[in-house]
Amino acid sequence: MISSLSPQLLIKPNTATTLSPIPHVQNQRFKLASHVCPSELLSIRKRPGSACAATTQHRRYLLFPAEEEEEEEREVKFTSDAPALAEGLQREPMPRHVAVIMDGNRRWAHLRGLPVRSGYEAGVKSLKTLVELCCKWGIRVLTVFAFSSDNWFRPEVEVEFLMSLLETGVKEETESFIRERIRISVIGDTSKLPKCLEELVINVVETTKNNTRFQLIVAVSYSGQYDLVQACQRIAMKVKDGLIEPNDVSESLIEQELETNCTEFPYPDLLIRTSGELRISNFMLWQLAYTELFFSQSLWPDFGEAEFLEALKSFQQRCRHYGK
Amino acid sequence: MDFRDTMQKVYSWACQIGNLGLWIIWLLIHFAVDLWYFALHIACAIESYLISSGILKRYKALDIDKLRYLAIVIESEEAYHIPAVIQLLQWLVDIGVKHVCLYDAEGILKKSKESILGKLNNATLFEEAGESNLLLDHKHITLEFASFPDGKEAVAKAANLLFMKYVKLGGSGKIQEEKIFTEAHMSEALRAVGCKGPEPDLLLVYGPVRCHLGFPAWRIRYTEIVHMGRLKSMRYGSLLKAIYKFTMVRQNYGK
Repeated sequence: MISSLSPQLLIKPNTATTLSPIPHVQNQRFKLASHVCPSELLSIRKRPGSACAATTQHRRYLLFPAEEEEEEEREVKFTSDAPALAEGLQREPMPRHVAVIMDGNRRWAHLRGLPVRSGYEAGVKSLKTLVELCCKWGIRVLTVFAFSSDNWFRPEVEVEFLMSLLETGVKEETESFIRERIRISVIGDTSKLPKCLEELVINVVETTKNNTRFQLIVAVSYSGQYDLVQACQRIAMKVKDGLIEPNDVSESLIEQELETNCTEFPYPDLLIRTSGELRISNFMLWQLAYTELFFSQSLWPDFGEAEFLEALKSFQQRCRHYGK
Repeated sequence: MDFRDTMQKVYSWACQIGNLGLWIIWLLIHFAVDLWYFALHIACAIESYLISSGILKRYKALDIDKLRYLAIVIESEEAYHIPAVIQLLQWLVDIGVKHVCLYDAEGILKKSKESILGKLNNATLFEEAGESNLLLDHKHITLEFASFPDGKEAVAKAANLLFMKYVKLGGSGKIQEEKIFTEAHMSEALRAVGCKGPEPDLLLVYGPVRCHLGFPAWRIRYTEIVHMGRLKSMRYGSLLKAIYKFTMVRQNYGK
């Protein structure tokens, strides 16, 4: 047990490593992430024989398909600045899609004798930090549970503040999203949002839809059960239009109609929930079947680089079997 | 030349000493980390012993009625260890848990249903336990067995039921879709296709991975999920602690 826990933590000097292509993607040659700067190269160091046997089969790598057809192994070199990984973190396996339930804003404010809105404002800063870290460390998709369908039952003043915070956040950051090539997607029942916010959301989603460096999916007015129900509603419309037979409805068809199908990687590899609560609270129910669950004790406004690092290291240490 | 050779030798020695130094530091840090995890492991084992032996009094005052429905997810490779599963269930009976759903993705536990029920004297299938049996005596337990097809596949079947109803009504317009495809109707349709189990309050995962391995997603909206480690390392004290912690939780349900 001890050997299975510790080997991934540290990196031994003077040992080079190589990366292999993602097993399930065939006939494609891979190259490094485009955000890696070519100057001043540094070899990745890895302790020989440190790999957990169970992870060998299911490793994934942060590589992106190039246009050539043949796959080949390459010795990988990385820059010494971003996206240099933090101490103890390995390049592989890194999650491609991380989901976060940002819980604990109100408790954070309460503990400091501050109004609730201060907690939410501090939470926004944590979100910005997390987006930067994800971009820096090559995580492709981040989904955040910003507002659930149950949250509509919170005090009206609080809900109004949250809506205005979302609106301000989207307005202030749109330029930054465009500049940093971040794609924004929004999932959830946006028809319940104030009209101005709904239009703003449509606009930012449309404006950033061609960005490919990183995708931020914001779940607003979202419910995992409702996601499934709306998928069925969309399929029903296709049945009505004669595009599908009722008997043809299958799991894969339902999956295609889920709101998380707006991304190339709809299934999170890692789910982080802050504030010590141990549940998923109706978030991405269908999509989380084989997602690693990490419950952090930190309240969301306190969730920073160190806490994220802990979650990622924990992810890298676990053996993932996908039920096989 | 001699001076240059000497300097090169000195430099080479310095590099070797430096590398050796780094190696030693690396070993020491690694040892410290190993020691830390070993200490944690010992602490958990001691705590579990203290809980099991009743020395830690607070675990005796367990409000088990708060745990109305418990789910146990076992990784399929570990699900073959039926004696361990039976031992776990015996512990749950001793603690006073009344309703348990046993899940593994491949259905190993479902196939071993008869064997498990036979070894436990006081267990019945959840489906066979009617309303009158809900108020079970202290040492009785109902068991539900589930596997991967009871999750996504069941949702697809339930959706098909609703689609048949939709087609029969000659669905037209968005309003019709919204009336037929609702969360309540989906829950009803799931019951109709045989997925009658309620939403568990607590889900314990036994296995190397911290995920629920495809447990019926529709049922775990607000379920507390706790990873218990490998089944072969299970301890009564850890089980009792997880249940005790659950009984102390207060949920807001998003409000």
